[in-house]
Amino acid sequence: MRPTRVLKSESFRSAALFATLFLILSWVLLGVVYWIVDDTQKSALVGSIDADINTIRNGYREKGLAEAIEVVHQRLGSGEYSGADLPGGYILLRDTASGSLAGNLQRPENFRLGLFKFSVPRLHQHDSTVNVLGRGVYIADGVYLFVGRDTGQIAVTRMRILKAFAWIEAVAMIFAGLGGIFFSVQFMRRIDAIARTCQAIIAGRFSDRIPLRGSGDELDGLAIAINNMLDRISTLLDNLRQVSSDVAHDLRTPLTHLRNRLEEARQKSVTAEDYAAVVARAIEDTDHLLVIFAALLRISQVESGSRLSAFSALSLSELLERIYEMYLPVAEDQHQVLLQDIQPGVRIRGDGELLTQMFSNLIENAIRHGPSGARILIRLAVAGNSADASVEDNGPGIPADERDKVFRRFYRLTGSRSTPGNGLGLALVSAIANLHHAKIELRDNRPGLQVLTGFDVV
Amino acid sequence: MHILLVEDDVELAGSLLGQFREQGYQVEHCADGDSGLASACRGEYQVIVLDRMLPRLDGLRLVRELRSRGVATPVIYLTTMSGIDDRVQGLEAGGDDYLVKPFAFAELLARVRVLSRRPANANEAAIRLTLGSIELDLLKRTVVRAGKHIDLLPQEFRLLEYFARNPDRMLTKRMLLENVWGIHFDPQTSVVESHISRLRAKINQGFEGDVIQTVRGTGYKFLAPH
Repeated sequence: MRPTRVLKSESFRSAALFATLFLILSWVLLGVVYWIVDDTQKSALVGSIDADINTIRNGYREKGLAEAIEVVHQRLGSGEYSGADLPGGYILLRDTASGSLAGNLQRPENFRLGLFKFSVPRLHQHDSTVNVLGRGVYIADGVYLFVGRDTGQIAVTRMRILKAFAWIEAVAMIFAGLGGIFFSVQFMRRIDAIARTCQAIIAGRFSDRIPLRGSGDELDGLAIAINNMLDRISTLLDNLRQVSSDVAHDLRTPLTHLRNRLEEARQKSVTAEDYAAVVARAIEDTDHLLVIFAALLRISQVESGSRLSAFSALSLSELLERIYEMYLPVAEDQHQVLLQDIQPGVRIRGDGELLTQMFSNLIENAIRHGPSGARILIRLAVAGNSADASVEDNGPGIPADERDKVFRRFYRLTGSRSTPGNGLGLALVSAIANLHHAKIELRDNRPGLQVLTGFDVV
Repeated sequence: MHILLVEDDVELAGSLLGQFREQGYQVEHCADGDSGLASACRGEYQVIVLDRMLPRLDGLRLVRELRSRGVATPVIYLTTMSGIDDRVQGLEAGGDDYLVKPFAFAELLARVRVLSRRPANANEAAIRLTLGSIELDLLKRTVVRAGKHIDLLPQEFRLLEYFARNPDRMLTKRMLLENVWGIHFDPQTSVVESHISRLRAKINQGFEGDVIQTVRGTGYKFLAPH
């Protein structure tokens, strides 16, 4: 896998985007922490400065200038100011009247008042300077006092915070980068597997399918959807091939009959009656061919799934009752008994015209293949979420080993080739059931056949 | 009666022209959609027989154009497009009947005859149909023949109603299936024959003669009794 592909990949890009977002947010956090620590330290510094000012001022008020100078010396002697403990402090006390001076500051900074900052040479190393924050006040008329502290400690803390952040961010960036690359490579491997499968199918290996990882994640979901689509397409392709070869084989037979008949007529027919008889037979033959054509077209039309758009909620009960009434006299004329046990008010989603044809085919099969005296039952009952419609008869039935074959186009039961029929009725039934996602099953009715269909109830 | 035939298949058009003229019809022929539309708008035709796939202007658009111009002449399509959707589209465009090629001429003739008397039959919404001594109450769904009440099953009543709306016309098996049962496929059993024989038995019982005449190989004719 080329590195530039990984860097260009969508997953790496989003990893980079999130890393950048994290970086920006951590900078904001750094700013807030930085400001809070800085402010806290400054307040502490100012607090101790003000405390020292108060001590010196109190000394002056109670016992005069000498005491104040004494306090200043005491303070300067402590570790806090000597610079023994960093960062060190600075004091300047000056009485304008006496001109006396105490403290460790050489330059009084023009006797500025209030809180201010300036830089002075470092206490023990005069070649460098330090920043001093302090406050200048008059503790009495003409007595100026300045107390200040080295701000170096604040700078050190600042440095530490910056360093800590720099480390954390460096590590985070490395993880983000590696993680991004890792996940991108993983992702791209699986995408490549999909692409490879598509290429294979383009190259003619129609049975190839996308490998699944079994993790049930969204990529597996996509792979399953694509595989299902490929299955569907391959079924349609197979159907198409099947239809083409069916048409080639099974239409050839009636066409041969037709041709033979016409040829024979040309050679042998003498009278106008002879010709009329042949013409009548020839028209019958073509009508038979047209019926096969229509059935094949209807099957492939149903299998293409284009009728799905015409689906609507309909009453299966009423549909079956209509069909029952329609075939009642037909069965009677065959000396058969057509019965119904239809639960009223059962509604499903479907195509009324196709469903009518489907159940008509089933009932006509029962009537045509059943002997005189046969009983045919149309049943509809709801079980759970399934509308179970069945057509049951006590006719000859279908042998167990042929039950799954009868749904094929042009399949005729062994020994029934001489009876009328084109072997397309059940193929159409199966196609219509599939279109409705209905289950369809052939069972032994002991004796006879039971065709069970199950639709989803609305 | 005047018929307009719009059909680009020269052989089929020639055959249809000959057969219609033999039946005493005056037929005009157009071989493409544009001239078909022009003639349909100009002429006084009782029925237009229209191929669905035509050069220049296809049949569906021709019918839509015709209807939008307020021409209500009944249209029957002749087409090789046998899908359910094709038929629905054709009728939605404003056509009145749909016949899939190839067909028997008798089938086309029967449909043209039924269509041609449509405009005159403005009483589609009537609640009572009277044919000689037979009287149908379409609201109560009852039938009386010469004062005698006849009990019919719902599908038998619809069959009789369709006959009564088209008396003395040849009605083919396929027309009965489409109009009485709403079925557009060919049943492999004798659905029509069985229902006709039941209806015939009920309506003829106790009377002379047969009001439903069978025309062998073609269909049935309802003759109003006196």
